[in-house]
Amino acid sequence: MRAALNRLPRLATMAVLTVVVLGPLYWITVSAFKDREEILRSTPTLIPQHPTLDNFRELFTATDYPTYLTNSFIVALLTALFTMMVSFAAAYGLYRLRIPGADKVAGLILVAYMIPGTLLLVPLYQVFATLELVDTRNALVIVNVAFTAPFCTWLLRGFFFAIPRDLDEAAAVDGAGPVRMMLRIILPLLAPGLSTVGVYAFVFSWTEFVFASQLVVSDDLKTLPIGLSAIMGQYTVNWGLLMAGTLCTIVPAIVPFLFAGRYFVGGLTAGAVK
Amino acid sequence: MRFLKLKRAAVGALALAVVLPAAACGGSSGPSGGGDDKTLTLWHMEQPPNRVAAFQKVIDAYNATNPEYKVQAQVQDWNQIYTKISSAVQSKTQPDILFTIPDFTTYVRPLGAVRPVTALVDELDKEHTFGDAAKAAYRDDNEYWAVPLYGMVQMLWYRKDLFAKAGITDAPKTWSELLADAQKLTSGSQKGIAVPAGKNLATDQVIYSLMLTGGAGNFFTGGGEVAFDKPQTVAALSLYADLLKQSPSDAGNYSWGEPQAAFNSGAVAMAIEKGQYLAPFEKESGRPASDLGCAPIPQADTGGEPGSIYYSNAAMVLSGDDVRAKGAEDFLRFVLKPENYGPFLNAEPGLFLPLTEDGAKAPSWTDNEVIKKYQGCVDAMLEQSKTGGLFGFVDGQYVDSIGKISGQNILAQVVQRVYSSGESPAAAVKWGDQQMREAVAR
Repeated sequence: MRAALNRLPRLATMAVLTVVVLGPLYWITVSAFKDREEILRSTPTLIPQHPTLDNFRELFTATDYPTYLTNSFIVALLTALFTMMVSFAAAYGLYRLRIPGADKVAGLILVAYMIPGTLLLVPLYQVFATLELVDTRNALVIVNVAFTAPFCTWLLRGFFFAIPRDLDEAAAVDGAGPVRMMLRIILPLLAPGLSTVGVYAFVFSWTEFVFASQLVVSDDLKTLPIGLSAIMGQYTVNWGLLMAGTLCTIVPAIVPFLFAGRYFVGGLTAGAVK
Repeated sequence: MRFLKLKRAAVGALALAVVLPAAACGGSSGPSGGGDDKTLTLWHMEQPPNRVAAFQKVIDAYNATNPEYKVQAQVQDWNQIYTKISSAVQSKTQPDILFTIPDFTTYVRPLGAVRPVTALVDELDKEHTFGDAAKAAYRDDNEYWAVPLYGMVQMLWYRKDLFAKAGITDAPKTWSELLADAQKLTSGSQKGIAVPAGKNLATDQVIYSLMLTGGAGNFFTGGGEVAFDKPQTVAALSLYADLLKQSPSDAGNYSWGEPQAAFNSGAVAMAIEKGQYLAPFEKESGRPASDLGCAPIPQADTGGEPGSIYYSNAAMVLSGDDVRAKGAEDFLRFVLKPENYGPFLNAEPGLFLPLTEDGAKAPSWTDNEVIKKYQGCVDAMLEQSKTGGLFGFVDGQYVDSIGKISGQNILAQVVQRVYSSGESPAAAVKWGDQQMREAVAR
């Protein structure tokens, strides 16, 4: 009895936290299946009384949502891929090879990460315009990688330190050079770290709004955050459409966590204690 | 074995690295602002899918006439357009046609790409007859800087069914009646009125409608200096503070969508907004169209005058050369022809009001189902438009610096100081006056 009482505060806290975290998600989900009148009803319904797929039908037929979805997938996958490649190579050089001044360079990279992105908006736009990259997905990938790579390089630091240097020495004795050592010895052991980096970069890109809103002008290149904002519109809001769009946008961001969430949490912890 | 797997993975990653950028490039269209040799780029900020589709239909109809320059629309976001147009003009990738409102025009003109369209406006005026209020806000330095396209005006919207339940027979005409009705209609979970108090343009506009009917619409001197701190402004803000007490408790976060949602759900009985309340009313409220009432904005009991925020949306021409500019003007001529104007306005029936005499009579507009169903309210909005005004552009003004004031939502901040910080209306108005002076001086 006493043990049960002792557990009560913990259970109550967990219950409250669950409601706080999952409550909005539940509300978005059920609202997406309600009609326009039921969504706005002053006495809200916990479960849709007349479930409908109209909001989803309208989302995928009357709006450019499928285009936004495709663009977001392409940009996010490319961002994740290039971030993994760049940050892995950078972290290997900085934290594994004995290069003079590596610590200072690593510090400089983190300083670059601290510059507020919005300060770079206008100059970046002009540079991309000169390079004829404005209104291309490539511009978004380049910007996203520029913002994710410094942090991800630092993130990999803990993973690198967790791999004993004895392995490098043993491989060197067997005749492996730095590149072969990087690809054959370190890369397989770094899979959790790279998963962490990939998930971080994917989600960063998936939710990036500021640069996407400035660098893309064509409707057929817009990404989801911009598309959802467009569905909101000015003066009027179609709440059902917005809820359906939000739900379809959240799901792809959650899926990577289902597969790589364990590594992600572990990766942040590893980075913190090393 | 493990090495082989690793090798396959590396090859796969490399292949992806090659193929995916190619896919990314595939969708690239290059810098679009200036369009290609025979395409004019049009930027508008009417993002909801129904408006995008309706505008596109008009553009398609124009392109089907085989003009020398075809038009391609690109939809932009009002929240981003200030930075975006600035960057685009600097990099010479601006659109040929840019939709605008009066204060945004004062922001874009100094960037240096806006072409005067005086001859075109005069020509269209002769052919279709613009209302004076539609044109005035775009005239400065003896030139017109944009072609007026559609108007918007605020009204008092009320739920007739909720009024009947509360025993109220007529819509309020004065401030005291408005407040008394709001108090009477506040009962249980129902609130009398929904007015926004978020730091946004929606709050700017609603408080300004009350300022206009209280005689405080012009807050500049004849010389263009800020004169916001005056008794009429304090009175309007005092009323607003009282109305906020009859509003839902989350009014501090309200913009446009929330008051309409509360109104249609029956959680509130009144709201002050534009004609977007017409089209979705039946579907969202589950009530018949006859339950939707509309009335002019109530006036101050003493010294009040008819009024409401009203402004015309327009199109600026930013083409880099004369030939393209002529192409842009041809498109705007096409839009304002009565047979094309209706489908354009009915992108959001009731919200977008005609600005020309022949447009207001055109069957292409009046035959729309929403316009016919709510004919009384549509007529009332057109009538209200005649006494409408916009901050910085009333009484023949053209205040160059108004964009600095509206861009910072200083009117909304003044409301917030009363609503959230509990400041007195007089002190908040004094603060707003100071902020406006500083904004203008910068």
